[in-house]
Amino acid sequence: MNNSKKLRPGEKVFSFILIIFSAILFLESYRISGFKGLTTSGAMPMFASTLMFISSIFIFLKTLKKDPKTKFNLVNVIQYLLPKQLIFFSALILVYVLAIPYFGFTLCSGIFLIISILTLWNKGVLWSLTVSIFSVTLIYFLFRIVFQVILPSGSFWS
Amino acid sequence: MEGLIYFTTAWLDPYLMLLTAIGTFAGIYVGAIPGLSVTMTVSILISFTFKWDVNDALALIAGIYVGGVYGGGRTAILLNIPGAPSAIATAFDGYPLAKKGLAGEAIGLTTVMSFIGGMVGILTLAIAAPIISDFAIKFTSREYMLLGIIGVLLIGTLSGESFAKGALAGALGVMIGMIGLDPMTAKARFTYGSINLMGGVPYIVAMIGFFGVTEALVQLDNLKLPYVKQKISKIIPNWSDVKKYFKLALKSSGLGTLIGALPGTGGDIAALIAYDQAKRTTKNPEVPFGSGAKEGIIAPETANNSAIGGAFIPMLTLGIPGDAVTAIIIGALYIHGLKPGPLLLTETPHLFWFIVGNLTLANIFLLIFGLTGVRIFTKIVECPKGILIPLIIVLSSIGAYAIQNNPIHIAWALGFGIFGYILRKYGFAVGPIILGVILGPMIDSNYRRAMLGADQNIGQFFIDLITNPISCVLIIFLLIMIGSQITFVKDRVSKLFQK
Repeated sequence: MNNSKKLRPGEKVFSFILIIFSAILFLESYRISGFKGLTTSGAMPMFASTLMFISSIFIFLKTLKKDPKTKFNLVNVIQYLLPKQLIFFSALILVYVLAIPYFGFTLCSGIFLIISILTLWNKGVLWSLTVSIFSVTLIYFLFRIVFQVILPSGSFWS
Repeated sequence: MEGLIYFTTAWLDPYLMLLTAIGTFAGIYVGAIPGLSVTMTVSILISFTFKWDVNDALALIAGIYVGGVYGGGRTAILLNIPGAPSAIATAFDGYPLAKKGLAGEAIGLTTVMSFIGGMVGILTLAIAAPIISDFAIKFTSREYMLLGIIGVLLIGTLSGESFAKGALAGALGVMIGMIGLDPMTAKARFTYGSINLMGGVPYIVAMIGFFGVTEALVQLDNLKLPYVKQKISKIIPNWSDVKKYFKLALKSSGLGTLIGALPGTGGDIAALIAYDQAKRTTKNPEVPFGSGAKEGIIAPETANNSAIGGAFIPMLTLGIPGDAVTAIIIGALYIHGLKPGPLLLTETPHLFWFIVGNLTLANIFLLIFGLTGVRIFTKIVECPKGILIPLIIVLSSIGAYAIQNNPIHIAWALGFGIFGYILRKYGFAVGPIILGVILGPMIDSNYRRAMLGADQNIGQFFIDLITNPISCVLIIFLLIMIGSQITFVKDRVSKLFQK
């Protein structure tokens, strides 16, 4: 196991959030059947969330022992967790996922591939367009024709 | 003699041979492409092969199964993305080997060892099926529960930064696996009135999200780094290497076949346990485990392929599926009017021997395709990250959607992917989450059956666990596994030995 001794930006806060998250999960598990019995629907979720809670306390205590090279700084945390490229790409994925039910898989995937390849590859519009069209055609052939997967056609067109 | 005739059916019929070859070839790619899974492909295949002759359908399915289990290891080595849960352990040492420029050697070695593992599994299926199924039938809910817990916690000890992080991730996976209607009481768990959550989270969606999407997002961090081309200089492994690791391969094959024969515990657990065993028993590996030890790829890859033969044992002799794929194959056999179970061997021996012969043939094709198509295959990996990352997202989306034709699953996969990315940034491994999702429902149902068997008396439940020899052995294994990860226990034990 690779034990990182240096504290990562926001690691302490994240570990604390995990304790809260585990506690909420335990309460939600308790709400399923309470303490009515040992074989109820909520028994296993309560066991699992208890394990999560105990583990998260251990993780938090371990982060307290780590050597903090940098003090908590929101800008540092954002830079570490969410670099600009990731924010842009995640937003693009979100739009892609939301657009699929309306405009269909093929068109959305084509546009998603063109924009993302153009941004991430930096080889120009023509190359991005060629690679994207080729990829979408191949995916369509493989999934729609070979594997007979019914791809979302999009409610907008119907 | 009759058995031999049935065994060679697929070998003598060119059409059946072609179907097996196509199945194996396609299976390697299905297993390797992130977003595609053997379970999904076999399910889709059954939807249009039920009109076929049973032998034709089985030939294609067996090929995909054998090729798919092997194919998962290829992307684990080349991309650090296990194509299937059974290849999770392969990535631990496979990817470091690829980064050292030994991808070809690693793939060649895993191909030969997968072939050996597969043959051991099939041989066991043919010879010792009744004996192993007799042993597996003795397992009760208690043992299955313990096996599930071992499976989830085992990966926690093998990956990530600490046991606590592994345990948290595994428990989180179990929680995700609990979402939906309780199969025993139909009570809703964590559904919050949403119809989409009633059916639960398909583990393939979670797998695609936590492995495919997370990996794509992690790759974004290293986008500006020059792409390290995987050097494929040599594929056929050295005879000396095969000879050197043959003993380990045989040991892992035996373990894999045995675990594969236990219903519900397929190649994924077999590979993890074999990896753990190799790590514990290899005294002087050339390089430490986790940084490119050949033993670290041989053990899991041999075990998961040998588990195929093992998984067929309870399926054909007891009618109980050994893993998810054999569960689907049972469905296919029912569609064709056959009843897998104790009577299958006496009523339709031709079918049993046909399956054995067909699996052997698929295994031979695996060796051929595995050693010849590596360079073409690796071209995918040499694809620039700027193309690869968007393609992984699109393939992951289509894979998540295709399971139930539900667009919401695409959103789930991407949500899991972003969550997995944050977890990885803070040193959590995503492997235990997936194992938790897959094994959580199994642990839950078996725990409740075992507790009901003890009349809901917690004292009796623990007495049963300790007094039953099989449970007792598993409990000891579990305690050793946990104890070996706790610093306090480790220090005490080492001091004790020093004295």
